[in-house]
Amino acid sequence: MVMPVKESHIVLGCFVSRLLVSFVFPSLQHQLDQSVEFSTPMTSFKSIQEGIYMFTKGLPTYNGGVVHHSPILIWMLSILPSQLFITVLYAAIDAYIAFQILQISKHLKYCNLPNYIFGILYVLNPLVLLSCVSKSSIIFTNVLITTALLHVLQGNIVFASMAIAAAGYLSLYPILLLVPLLGMIASWKRKILSIITTIITLQILLFISYEINGSSWDFIDSTYGKILTFSKVFPNIGLWWYFFVEMFDEFIPFFKSVFNLIVLVFIVPFTIRFNQQPLFAFILCLGWIILTKPYPTLGDAGFFLSLLPFFNSIFGYLRYPLLSTLLILHAVILSPIFYHLWIDLGSGNSNFFYAITLVYALGIASIIADLTWAMLRNEYDEGKPNYNVKVTQI
Amino acid sequence: MFKRNATCLIFTTLLLFSRICYGQESNYSIYKNDNTEQLEEFRNSNTTSEVESSSSTVITASEDGSFPEGIQEPPLDPSITIQEGLSYPFREKLYVKPLPNNDLLTSFQFKMNSEEFAPSISSLNYGQYNHFTVFPKAIESVLHRTDTRQLHLRFTRGFWDAETWGRLPHDGFKSGGNGVELWAIIEAESKDNAYSKWKTLANSLSGLFCASINFIDSSKTTYPVTSFQPDNDQGLPVFANSKNQLYLIRAALANEPICTENLTPFLKLLPTKGKSGISTFLDGHKVFDSSWHSLSVDVITNCDVNQDKCKYETDAVVDMVTHVPYSLARNKNPIPKPLPAEQLRCDTNKPYDAFQCFPLPESTETEFDLSQIFGKTIKGSSMMSDIPSHICAIITSKWDVSIKVNGELFGTDDNCFELDGMDEYDLYLASSDTSDVTTLNEEVPLHVSRSLTGYGQDHGGLRTVFQNPTPMPITAIYFESLPWYMRLYLSSLKLESIDSSNLQLEDVIDSVYYNSAIDHKRPSHLEYTITIPANTTLAISCQFDKALLHFADYPPDANHGFEIESAVITVIKPFKYQIRTETLLLSLSTPDFSMPYNVIIITSTVIGLIYGTLYNLLVKKVVRVEQADKLIEQQAGLKKKLVAVVLKLKSKVVDRIKQKKVINFYI
Repeated sequence: MVMPVKESHIVLGCFVSRLLVSFVFPSLQHQLDQSVEFSTPMTSFKSIQEGIYMFTKGLPTYNGGVVHHSPILIWMLSILPSQLFITVLYAAIDAYIAFQILQISKHLKYCNLPNYIFGILYVLNPLVLLSCVSKSSIIFTNVLITTALLHVLQGNIVFASMAIAAAGYLSLYPILLLVPLLGMIASWKRKILSIITTIITLQILLFISYEINGSSWDFIDSTYGKILTFSKVFPNIGLWWYFFVEMFDEFIPFFKSVFNLIVLVFIVPFTIRFNQQPLFAFILCLGWIILTKPYPTLGDAGFFLSLLPFFNSIFGYLRYPLLSTLLILHAVILSPIFYHLWIDLGSGNSNFFYAITLVYALGIASIIADLTWAMLRNEYDEGKPNYNVKVTQI
Repeated sequence: MFKRNATCLIFTTLLLFSRICYGQESNYSIYKNDNTEQLEEFRNSNTTSEVESSSSTVITASEDGSFPEGIQEPPLDPSITIQEGLSYPFREKLYVKPLPNNDLLTSFQFKMNSEEFAPSISSLNYGQYNHFTVFPKAIESVLHRTDTRQLHLRFTRGFWDAETWGRLPHDGFKSGGNGVELWAIIEAESKDNAYSKWKTLANSLSGLFCASINFIDSSKTTYPVTSFQPDNDQGLPVFANSKNQLYLIRAALANEPICTENLTPFLKLLPTKGKSGISTFLDGHKVFDSSWHSLSVDVITNCDVNQDKCKYETDAVVDMVTHVPYSLARNKNPIPKPLPAEQLRCDTNKPYDAFQCFPLPESTETEFDLSQIFGKTIKGSSMMSDIPSHICAIITSKWDVSIKVNGELFGTDDNCFELDGMDEYDLYLASSDTSDVTTLNEEVPLHVSRSLTGYGQDHGGLRTVFQNPTPMPITAIYFESLPWYMRLYLSSLKLESIDSSNLQLEDVIDSVYYNSAIDHKRPSHLEYTITIPANTTLAISCQFDKALLHFADYPPDANHGFEIESAVITVIKPFKYQIRTETLLLSLSTPDFSMPYNVIIITSTVIGLIYGTLYNLLVKKVVRVEQADKLIEQQAGLKKKLVAVVLKLKSKVVDRIKQKKVINFYI
């Protein structure tokens, strides 16, 4: 694939900026990996390192402990000879995401912005940059999601399905994105092909993991089991942790299943309601997952926000963009401060940080709701914006 | 469920215990005439034969059989004699060893063996044999029920200042970390079976020693691999069938306070019951007033495999370090109060007047009786064994020691004394220079200290400093069991050379055993062999995450923190020695405990708000505002009439009420 000069500059810029930040601030990785916003027990680099250590020493990696990453990921990273290679790999993957975002933007029908803008917005997104520098494993899921998106737009369904299966394999909930992905495929035959490919890929991946993990299935419980049952209670910016710290024992299983249902609940409705805008449905589903999943990070949010400029043509319909922006800014700025007040200084308590997670959830939710409204309004206007018409819902 | 079980066990143990006490007391019946028939009813059949055999012993005592009173008053009557050759496998010794800075180490050692028994015969078959003379039957029944071959229990409190006091008594093998420590070798078919027996053992001992040992559960239990290994494994046969295996299981409770209620059951295990022999010194008020004290009970099964003969051997030890001037002052002024001005010892080289006094260091001259420290004298020898009670003082030439028998002083060359009569004994110690003690030449092979690093309540580190002061390399096994809420990252294990020697982790550590923690189920278990080069100090550090717990999992005083049990370091080369580090206090982040309802309500509201908004957006039709108004009007035809009727009724009712109010007002 030949890239125009501007795009190759962006991709290279992405790669170099990540490397540069990693090398100029060598302690930043550790700091970010300790921060509650960019690292969770499920995605932290410390946990990957522990997994690599145990894997290479031949210790039982998934027998309890702190490793919750997929065996294949740990195996692949354990092949890399040094930390330097891992740093380069992370930068390269982020650059590859930027490249794929540029490619996806070429498939947009209504777009009045030059393509490179999308790439630049991704590269300059501080949340994405910091998430990459923290070496959170969420980047592997993200790259697979963009791969799936790009290939389904290019018509390569088998590859797209494989990518979404792999994303689901790495962090479970992205497997739900198969539903909006199917919405992007026109014929039923190809839809079935996509489902079958996904299932086969998942089985192969799980079987390889089984082999890598010394013929043991215990990794299933340590990875997916721990996510589904939310058994590693650790503060994060999601809605789950404080709820389950404070919940009464008897109701915990019930509410865990309810919270898991909430993750599922809007996937199919979004796909059906926006079947004419399948890319929009896909990204809306992605937003819904990062809002409701048990272990979200700001890296997820950064990725989701970087995909939003695709719909800049409907931004005019947004009812409260200022509110959404302020909510997100408020959460991003205050969460490290309030966390510090609670954990390090002891001058604030857990409610401070809890309040911020609520603000964050409201911010993401207001973006999703506002975008939904904007798209509905856009559908009402049939693609020709008429901002003067007063429209309501009944 | 578990709680009820535990209570049940404690109850049964207490029942057992009370029965055993009777059985034990029957040992005292050797002081009595042939009144075995009277005692028969509350004596176990297994001890009967023994009593009968000794019934010919020449003994005088009250004829009325009120023997509990007889026991409380030790037989000081000189007419009491003991038959020649009568002896039980019981030994007791008391070591007294002055330490620097006017501290005094006293070490009480009791050895009790059971009679030989054949493991192939069930011990429930009482007619077959007996083996309880001086051996505590309470312990035997617990051992038998749980198939325990070895039992080691430690109650320790205080800080052993190795840099001043030198080596630990018994090379550290008889003292535990702060709190309670328990390990045992249990015979079982499987690990699960061994664990359930272990739980029974812990619960029984909990009742026996009045300690919260029943709090031991799987999240505190480890199965040591290289540490705590028994000395002689050929003496540990499998009793039941060859399929069974022996399991070494260990747990420690760091936050358990050690108190006088643990000493009383301890004394009850001794045949002398603290009424005669050196155990008369043991008084709860004095033992637990010391700066360091350790109670230990070790029971091992020693078997002669060829002859199908085994016997239990019990070592019970009480070690304590007392600060002598403090104890003596306490005798003078039970309630501490400021000394009068003329008694103050002031440093006259410094400003010194009626208002200022820089105190001098403690006097290096001393003179005291042991009874001043323990508040009691020794009431006769134990009269149990062929070897009389023993008292030894380990002192230098600047010390004088003599024994006081009924007020008269006697001395010996080796500073050891045998108590062979029923007199009143006491030990007199005097020194012209108390700083001259034997410990000065003792070499402590290793100093280990462990501390927490980091400041936040979400992450932290453990740093263990090993200091080898000797001119030879020391090889030791490091054992550590950490609770699951410390999520240890073994990959962050790192060596810091303090002496700037270029050591790598691989150079000093080999054979690492690591079993990572499972939440609520298993602690992290780390063991490694470490070799510290001569005259070297090095530190090994490791990072961990602190978990946030469910609000009900926190103890009542959550902000106090969690006690982390000490690490155990067993020196194996060039000689055997054991040390334990201090315990740690780990503070975890806490949620707001008053918030459950608020959090449930607020989070649910936010989720409901989000869900409702999106649901409305997705299912409702998009129309113009004018259209919407029209639609509402059309739909509202019937509704409107209804509303009008309701409004009319309402206004009438309201009017009436208003009228009434007006009337009422005027009345």
